[in-house]
Amino acid sequence: MTWHSLPDDPLWYKDAIIYELPIRSFFDSNDDGIGDLRGVIEKLDYIQSLGVTCLWLLPFFPSPLKDDGYDIADYNAVHRSYGTLDEFRTLVSAAHARGLRIIIELVLNHTSDQHPWFQRARQAPVGSPDRDFYVWNETDQRYRDARIAFVDSEISNWAWDPVARSYYWHRFFHHQPDLNYDNPQVLEEMLRVMDCWLEMGVDGFRLDAVPYLVEREGTTCENLPETHAIIKLIRHHIDRHWPNRLLLAEANQKPQEVRAYFGDADECHMAYHFPVMPRLFMALHLEERDAIVEAMENTPSIPDSCQWALFLRNHDELTLEMVTDYERDYMYLAFSALPEARLNVGIRRRLAPLMNNSRRRIELLMSVLLSFPGTPIIYYGDEIGMGDNLDLGDRNGVRTPMQWNGGRNGGFSNVDPGLLYSPVLVDPVFGYQAVNVEAAEREPTSLLHWVRNMIRLRRLFKVFGRGGIEFLKPANHKILAYLRRHEADVVLCVANLSRSVQPVELDLRDFAASVPVEMFGYTEFPRIDVAPYFLSIGPYGFYWFELRHGS
Amino acid sequence: MVVGIISYNDADTVGDVVRRVSAGIAAHAPQGCLVLADGGSTDGTVKRAESAAADVCPLVTVDYSRPALDPLAAPYHGWYGRAAAILSVLRAASARTAAACAVIDARLTSVSPEWMPSLLEPVLSEEFDYVAPYYERHPYEGAITKSVIAPMFRALYGVRLRQPAGGEFGCSSRLLQHLLDQTYWAAKDADSGIDIWMASAAAVGGFRVCEAALGGRTHVVKEDPPDVSTALGQVVGGMFADVEARAETWQRIRGSQTLPVFGRSRGEMTRQPVVDVEPMLDRFRLGFDALRDVWAWIVAPRTLLQLKALAEAPAPQFRFGNELWTQVVYDFALAYRARSMPHDHLLGALTPLYLGWLASFVEETCGTGDVEDRLARLGEVFEMKKPYLIAGWRWPERFRV
Repeated sequence: MTWHSLPDDPLWYKDAIIYELPIRSFFDSNDDGIGDLRGVIEKLDYIQSLGVTCLWLLPFFPSPLKDDGYDIADYNAVHRSYGTLDEFRTLVSAAHARGLRIIIELVLNHTSDQHPWFQRARQAPVGSPDRDFYVWNETDQRYRDARIAFVDSEISNWAWDPVARSYYWHRFFHHQPDLNYDNPQVLEEMLRVMDCWLEMGVDGFRLDAVPYLVEREGTTCENLPETHAIIKLIRHHIDRHWPNRLLLAEANQKPQEVRAYFGDADECHMAYHFPVMPRLFMALHLEERDAIVEAMENTPSIPDSCQWALFLRNHDELTLEMVTDYERDYMYLAFSALPEARLNVGIRRRLAPLMNNSRRRIELLMSVLLSFPGTPIIYYGDEIGMGDNLDLGDRNGVRTPMQWNGGRNGGFSNVDPGLLYSPVLVDPVFGYQAVNVEAAEREPTSLLHWVRNMIRLRRLFKVFGRGGIEFLKPANHKILAYLRRHEADVVLCVANLSRSVQPVELDLRDFAASVPVEMFGYTEFPRIDVAPYFLSIGPYGFYWFELRHGS
Repeated sequence: MVVGIISYNDADTVGDVVRRVSAGIAAHAPQGCLVLADGGSTDGTVKRAESAAADVCPLVTVDYSRPALDPLAAPYHGWYGRAAAILSVLRAASARTAAACAVIDARLTSVSPEWMPSLLEPVLSEEFDYVAPYYERHPYEGAITKSVIAPMFRALYGVRLRQPAGGEFGCSSRLLQHLLDQTYWAAKDADSGIDIWMASAAAVGGFRVCEAALGGRTHVVKEDPPDVSTALGQVVGGMFADVEARAETWQRIRGSQTLPVFGRSRGEMTRQPVVDVEPMLDRFRLGFDALRDVWAWIVAPRTLLQLKALAEAPAPQFRFGNELWTQVVYDFALAYRARSMPHDHLLGALTPLYLGWLASFVEETCGTGDVEDRLARLGEVFEMKKPYLIAGWRWPERFRV
């Protein structure tokens, strides 16, 4: 029972629904063309109205912004464009008062090359503790088995620093030197950074690029035992001093490797399930369930207190690193007919354009997101069906201003349009005059209202956040059917991945005598018996049923 | 065992209450302790209480803070600061590891020593966790409870509790700890919702609930009673808020159970006051003329047409049927949850409808002695139509695609 306060539940993240937003893109309260903390505060009522329970704020720290803020120049402050520390504190308390938690980014792996630590390191003597805050080498030939993440813009993981007269290691952009976790002072500093934000009330951290903390020769420099040892120390620190706080691992790895980031429930509480996301899109395009079922069945079990984080789209490209070559080729052909939609190893598009703006397909994917085992993450703007802008470089096309209404700059800011951090979408299908919150609020049948209802429905049932999953495998492969179970609750989800009506016979004999109650309309369906249970489902249709025992 | 008496400037009644409660404790639970939770009385309440308890029962005084009065707020129909007072008693009971606790209002004039075993024995001997009072009332007393609160408790929370917001209560140490662990105490409208909240916490929290027949309840009224609209807004608003907060739970509850009644119950008093229904019917009809556009935002079109027919019906044919009333209450609950309009406007718009129901209830039951059966049938209909509420809750009518 909450009554407008946060429940004292160490497993709160299992029942959470997370809303991801970049402060820069959400709302500009001071009309300088850039979204800010005050803007988020002003829009908290909207966020609360969605029914989400947690905000994930993208980086808002001082930064040269060469990587959208993931190049941090000061971990303990707020970028002046976004506001002040006091405003951040206000945001946290205002969010908490609405029952919303806040998680923020913690970029452990690297800093900006403008960070004072790096500026100090490049001038410090070789072998000194200051120098050893980063990873240096005389040549660029160490750690050659490590892959390059941003293949479109970097040719090596080493960059020459003329001041240090040495190469420094960077797993991402060359302006983001990797911190050296072999130096214990680095971890000490990072724990101090965490304490600073936890003291201000944040409820957790998304640990960015966490597999790359430590480097060792002869390895891919990913997922090393030494990296897990660092994470264990961080978790120990959190558990000891900050109860009910969350660590969410961003480890774009195969599930078996991601599994290690949960440890024995002594590393991260949550981690993203990267492989399932592209396969949801693929299965929908193929109109058959196999890719999804295979991905989920290959998912290793995790400790009871841990949880997967699920998403359809986010601020990055739809990454295809964790799929097979065949699947990658298929995805490119199916979803990126425009070459400019491809970036690195992925597709830089939002949900609605990926679905050709098909409301039924968007709803179907959302229904899967909200009913699969894990905590769903909704990317800002996807709840109103916002589009993207492929003319903008890198991943900026999916980070355009939130479209609040049909007025100037889509209601995001009153500034001269030329001074916006990014142009608003103006195309006839996804432009702000066609897609915006105000219009969606006024239209009872809008995607926004639909998403709100779905979120509220999910929140009524703990089984979605806490239950296990069992796939039914009917003969018709266009049907995705699965059971969710938690304690005495059993929910049956059935989805038609195809564009035409489909029949399905489900083997529900284990539930003979139970009555399926369709959850949206609370409608009782015919009682189950030992014979196959027949349903027909319309194009891209889906049902959620509570299986109620007895009469 | 602890019995708490909550007071604020009750010097004229607290002595009698303490004497009777002390006598009850001395007779039935000699190890018991009396706790006076006082909100800073300036009329000598505490001294009177101490004097009355002397030599009979140990008395401990605890303070509670009455919330600052909001000059713009409507006067609360019950005890201002009641939530803080009850919290003080429960904390005192917890500190004394009491096996059972009861709470009594210092303004009561009808309390008797026999109330103590009625409220506490079910806890101490029968392992019940929550003992709700069941007062003898004339048929039209407590009509808001009869028309909305009790049937919603039955349909939603699965217990046929007839007076869920009755005032006095008994509870076990297990329930007491559960209540103390909750954050509700600091909620904005805790004063008006506290009794419903405690009863519902017991009903849906896996606690054993029963009723205790206490006879009649009379008390000294110190403030002007609020008008019906204010009282309705506070009580029904408290119920709707509780329903909203417990949505995850009540949508799983099926059916309802009757509760054991301890003590001798005579049920509803047979003496029926003469009630003139014409002013109530006038307000219903006036309400229809003035508020039908507002009601159209809240109730389903078919319901509105039925209300229109009712507004046009002559008095002898005026019958507010159970189905129609249930539909109205559920639609208002859904609108409350959907925030279709400010809550005070919404609850204000319920007043003429409630008066229409009350007029019909009086007409139907006057002289028939059929009150209990009539209310039982209403509860059945609330229970039968619960799927309508659940469906509307999960997928509001106005968002159908």
